[in-house]
Amino acid sequence: MSGHRVAAITRRLLQQFRRDRRTLALLFVAPIVILGLLGYLIRGSASIPTVGIANEDQGPIGATIATALARSSVISTATINASDGDAKLKDGSLAAYIVFPVDFSRLAQSGTVTPEVHLEGSQPGTTAPVLQALQQALLSLAAQAPGQGLHVQPTLTYMYGGPGFDTLDYFGAAFIGLIVFFLVFVITIVSFLNERSLGTLERLMASPLRRGEIVLGYMLGFSVLALIQAAEVLIFALAVLKVHNAGNVGLIFGIEALMAIGAVNLGIFLSMFARTEFQAVQFIPLVIVPQFLLSGILFPVSSEPKPLQVLSDVLPLTYAVNGLRDVMVKGADLTWGSLQLDISVVLAFVIVLIVAGTATLRRRIA
Amino acid sequence: MSESFAVDVENVAKSFGSVKALDGVTLQVRQGEIYGLLGPNGAGKTTLIRLLVGLLEAHAGTVTVLSHRMPDVGALRHVGYMTQQAALYPGLSVEENVRFFAAINGVEGDAVKEALELVHLYERRDSVVSTLSGGMRTRCSLGCALVHKPQLLLLDEPTVGVDPQLRVQLWEDFRRMAEAGTTIVVSSHVMDEADRCQRLGLIQYGKVLAEGSPSEIRALAGTRNLEDAFLKLAGAGSPS
Repeated sequence: MSGHRVAAITRRLLQQFRRDRRTLALLFVAPIVILGLLGYLIRGSASIPTVGIANEDQGPIGATIATALARSSVISTATINASDGDAKLKDGSLAAYIVFPVDFSRLAQSGTVTPEVHLEGSQPGTTAPVLQALQQALLSLAAQAPGQGLHVQPTLTYMYGGPGFDTLDYFGAAFIGLIVFFLVFVITIVSFLNERSLGTLERLMASPLRRGEIVLGYMLGFSVLALIQAAEVLIFALAVLKVHNAGNVGLIFGIEALMAIGAVNLGIFLSMFARTEFQAVQFIPLVIVPQFLLSGILFPVSSEPKPLQVLSDVLPLTYAVNGLRDVMVKGADLTWGSLQLDISVVLAFVIVLIVAGTATLRRRIA
Repeated sequence: MSESFAVDVENVAKSFGSVKALDGVTLQVRQGEIYGLLGPNGAGKTTLIRLLVGLLEAHAGTVTVLSHRMPDVGALRHVGYMTQQAALYPGLSVEENVRFFAAINGVEGDAVKEALELVHLYERRDSVVSTLSGGMRTRCSLGCALVHKPQLLLLDEPTVGVDPQLRVQLWEDFRRMAEAGTTIVVSSHVMDEADRCQRLGLIQYGKVLAEGSPSEIRALAGTRNLEDAFLKLAGAGSPS
C-alpha cells in the first residue's frame, strides 16, 4: 500500500469536483434545503385535528364533557350544529364531530352514555387523538361524579375508510402514483442524456426529423413502459397489499398514467439542462424531494405553514396525490369538482412540459 | 449559381464565445465529386460540417446545401451524415440500427439490405452493436448514413481509428458512390487520404488556406507531396 498512490486518487477526485460547480453546490446546498424544509414542515405544522361538538343534550352532562374536550391538548374544538357536521367533514374543515344526543344526560343516569362520534376517516393519524380526547374528557367526568360506574359506549361512524383503514391505506394511494412518477422520471432523463452522449441525438437532429416528432416519439415509447409499470404497481397494491380502494380502478389508472406521462416529459425537459447522466441524477433530489415533502403525501397540505402551502399549491404532484386519495379513499368520481380540478391541473402540467421539452430541444445540440 | 453546386459556402463566420471557429470561409462542392476537407484537429472541419447539416447556424455568410439555404430541414432528406464517433445504439443489432435510420429518413424495403451489403455487414446484421469491433461499428455507422441514398454524404473523419485494409475498402466504396452520382464531403487530417479526393479544401484556424485538386495544391505550394504542401501553406497562413 502506497500513501502516495492513495493520495493521488484522493487529490484527483477533489480536483474533478473543483471544476464541477454544480455538483459542489448540490452537495452543500441540497442538504440544507431539504432539512430546512423538513424542519419547517414539522415544527410549523398545525397538526392538531379540529373536532366539532354538537351538544343537543337537555341535561348538564353533555356540556360538562364538551368543556372538558375544549381543554384537551390533542384536539381543538368548535361548536357546530349536528346537521352541518357531515358537510364540514367533507370540506375538510373538521376531522371529526361528536354529538351528544337530546337524552344524553338521562341515559347517563342509567349508567350508559353513547356519544356519537363521526370521523372523517381518510387520515388514520387523526382518529386516535379524537378518541383519546373523548376518553380523557369522560374520565374527568367520572372523577367529578365518582362511584356512578358510568359505562361509555361511543358509536363510531366513518365517512371514509373504516375501522380497518390503516396507515398503508392512506399512504398507499399516494405512493402508487409517486413510485411510478419517480422511476419513470429517472429512466427518461438518463436515457435521453444517453442519446446525447452517444452522439445519436446529433444524428437525429441532422435528419428530417422535427423536434416535436422526437419528443413525441420518446414520450410514446416511454409511456408504453410507464403504463405497464403503472398497471403492475396498481395490481400489486390492490391485490397483494390490499390497499383500501373505494373508487373506480380505471380512474386510478388514468391518474397514474397522466403522472407517468408527465414524468416522461419532465425527464425530457430537464435533460436539456444537464450535459451528462451524472448531472442528470443530481436533479433527483432537487425535483423529487421537495415535491415529495410538499405534495401532501406525508403531511396534509392544509396543516402546512402558510408560505409552504402556497408552494404546495403550485406543485403538480400535490394535485395528483390529492386526486388519487380522493378516488381511492373517498370514492370520488368525475362528477366531483375537486377531482376535475386535480386532473385538469395534472393534464395542463403534462401539456406544458411537452411544449417546453420541444422548445428547448434545439438549444444544447452542439 | 448555387444550382450547379451541391454545397455552396459563402464567407461564413461562426464563433463559440471568443473562439472564432470559422472566419470567412468560402468554398464550393460540385455535384458528384469527392471533396476533402483537410486540416489539423481544431481547424474548424467539424464546425463546417455541422453548419452544412443545420446543427449550427452561421453568424455571418450563407450556407447553401442542395439549393436549400441552411438551416433547412427540407434539405436533410437528401443528406447523409456520419458523425466523428460511430454514433449508434449499442443495444440494437446492426440491422435494427440501419432500419431505424432508414425509417426516420422515410425509406423502407430493400434499402436496408442494400446498405448492409454495401458496408459488408449483411452477414453480421443480427449482431448487437456493443459486441462489434471498432471497424465494424464505423461501417455500421456509414450504413446508417447512406441507407436513404442521399445526394450528399457528409463524413466527419470516417477513417479515424480504422485499420489500413478497411480504410482502403471504405475509400473504394466512396469512389463507387461518387461514380453513381453521390456528392461526398469527407473531412480528414490524414494526408494520404487526400490524394483520393477530386478536390480539396485546406482549412486552418477557421480559414480556407487553399482550394483545388491535389495536383493543383501541390503546384501552388511547389512541393512534391500534399503533406509538405499543407505544412508550407499552413506556415504562411498562421495567425499573427
